[in-house]
Amino acid sequence: MALRDIKPTRSELINLKRKIQLSERGYKILKMKRDGLILEFFKILANAKDSRGELLRKYERAAEMMALANTVEGAIGVKSAAFSVKEVPEVHLKSKNIMGVVVPQIDSNKVRKSVIDRGYGVLGTSTVIDETASAFEELVEAIIESAEIETTMKRLLDEIEKTKRRVNALEFKVIPELTEARDFIKMRLDEMEREELFRMKKIKSRNTA
Amino acid sequence: MGVNISAPYIYVCTRMRMRKSKLLPKEEYQRMLNMSVSEITRIVGESEYKQEIDELGTTFKGIDLIEVALSWNLAKEYQKIQEITPGTLKQFTQVYLRRWDIQNVLTILRGKMQGVPSGKIKEILVPAGSLDKVALDRMLTEESPDRIIEMLKDHRMFPVLTREYPLAKESGSFSHMENELYKHLYANIINDAKSGVKGGASFLAYIQLEIDIKNVKTLFRLRADKVDEEAREMFIPGGSLSLADFASLNAIKDLNEFIDMIRANISNDTLHVLLDEVKTKKGGVQYIEARLTRVQLEQMEKMSKRNPFSIHPILVYLEKKKYEVFNLRALARGKESQLPSEKIVDYLVM
Repeated sequence: MALRDIKPTRSELINLKRKIQLSERGYKILKMKRDGLILEFFKILANAKDSRGELLRKYERAAEMMALANTVEGAIGVKSAAFSVKEVPEVHLKSKNIMGVVVPQIDSNKVRKSVIDRGYGVLGTSTVIDETASAFEELVEAIIESAEIETTMKRLLDEIEKTKRRVNALEFKVIPELTEARDFIKMRLDEMEREELFRMKKIKSRNTA
Repeated sequence: MGVNISAPYIYVCTRMRMRKSKLLPKEEYQRMLNMSVSEITRIVGESEYKQEIDELGTTFKGIDLIEVALSWNLAKEYQKIQEITPGTLKQFTQVYLRRWDIQNVLTILRGKMQGVPSGKIKEILVPAGSLDKVALDRMLTEESPDRIIEMLKDHRMFPVLTREYPLAKESGSFSHMENELYKHLYANIINDAKSGVKGGASFLAYIQLEIDIKNVKTLFRLRADKVDEEAREMFIPGGSLSLADFASLNAIKDLNEFIDMIRANISNDTLHVLLDEVKTKKGGVQYIEARLTRVQLEQMEKMSKRNPFSIHPILVYLEKKKYEVFNLRALARGKESQLPSEKIVDYLVM
């Protein structure tokens, strides 16, 4: 806001003072929100590190088990057992609110199954199929957990970035400009008051002379 | 062993022993453990499997070529044995190989239910049983599982399929049907063996051994998965264990107690040695399963030496041929997946 566009009036000053008050309040709240979000983010970051590590471990185990299943049962045996999968895991997406940020909450069921519920017969297959299926069930669970944590983290980061930009804009642009405008109006009003006083004195002295 | 042994029996048993002697020796596997996939492919391509490798070379490549060629060779060999065995030996061999029919029919039914293209299903069929390539191809052209079952009207698994399929269709799971089919297979084998035909007793002795080993494997597997309630469904009758024994064994939580009870119920020295080892060494279920398979083969070999002109030499060859194929596949797949040789060797049946 250029100073030359500002009307140095009392009502404008009152308006500006209100705006400054509002901006300062907003600044404080946004700063608190930013700090709160950062705290939440660090809490989730620790979980995310664990879950990512767990996910990698489970992926490696599943890949190893698949290699072993292919070795023991052959691709034919593994594919034949895979045909028996009757139910795919169900994923339910809900949302929760962390300081105004809507983050997903993922619930899943039918991921882990017992050997009876997997759809293949126990008498026609071997243990390696059970262990491979179990390793992949664990992997799917880890993916779902990681998806929730990492999406939450991403959304929090976006929100932190947005809030940080707002806080900075208020701190370094909006509030200083408003303060400057307020000071300018104050100065202009004082100036005008002094001019008025001087004019009045001049008129008075002319009248007495 | 009977005193009067007919010439065709002697002939076929001798041929089986000859074929068995042509199988890859243990040392060859040890040598192959140090080879790369391409070297293994070359060795397989220069051996008994050459014809299949050449035939399938245009359709499959790399590791898939090896696996499919091995399976085709196994199927061809089993079909040939069914052709050359005479009289009751043929009947026993056919009923013994019916397990491949179960596997193929279930694969087709499951594939059709899942909407898998026929070509993809065909790749994983092994026509080693009574249903040959032509019969399986005919089944593959049918889209409806009901029609596929209808086509098996003359097969011995038909009553179980008609009884179990509606339930399987409704629940979407074929596991119960699969278990029932295998139980029915063993019941049929026992019936045939007990029907009074010549050589039935030898066949029965082997089948009882197989059922015992299968039940023990199932018990170890159920323990690992902590299945309690539906365990009875997995029991195969006809062996040394009764259903009550099986259920009570499955309920035992302590490993030592569990092993002691198996020892008390099944009298088999080789098995006892393995069980003692499991008690002290405590290997995983996969390791125990592989060792139980070795115990079974060892016992079969002993039976075959005791009864040289019976069904035993044929069964030993059928099993040894199957494990040669499994071993070669395991070596190739294991090498391709870069599994360490020490790990691959644990799963070889030598």
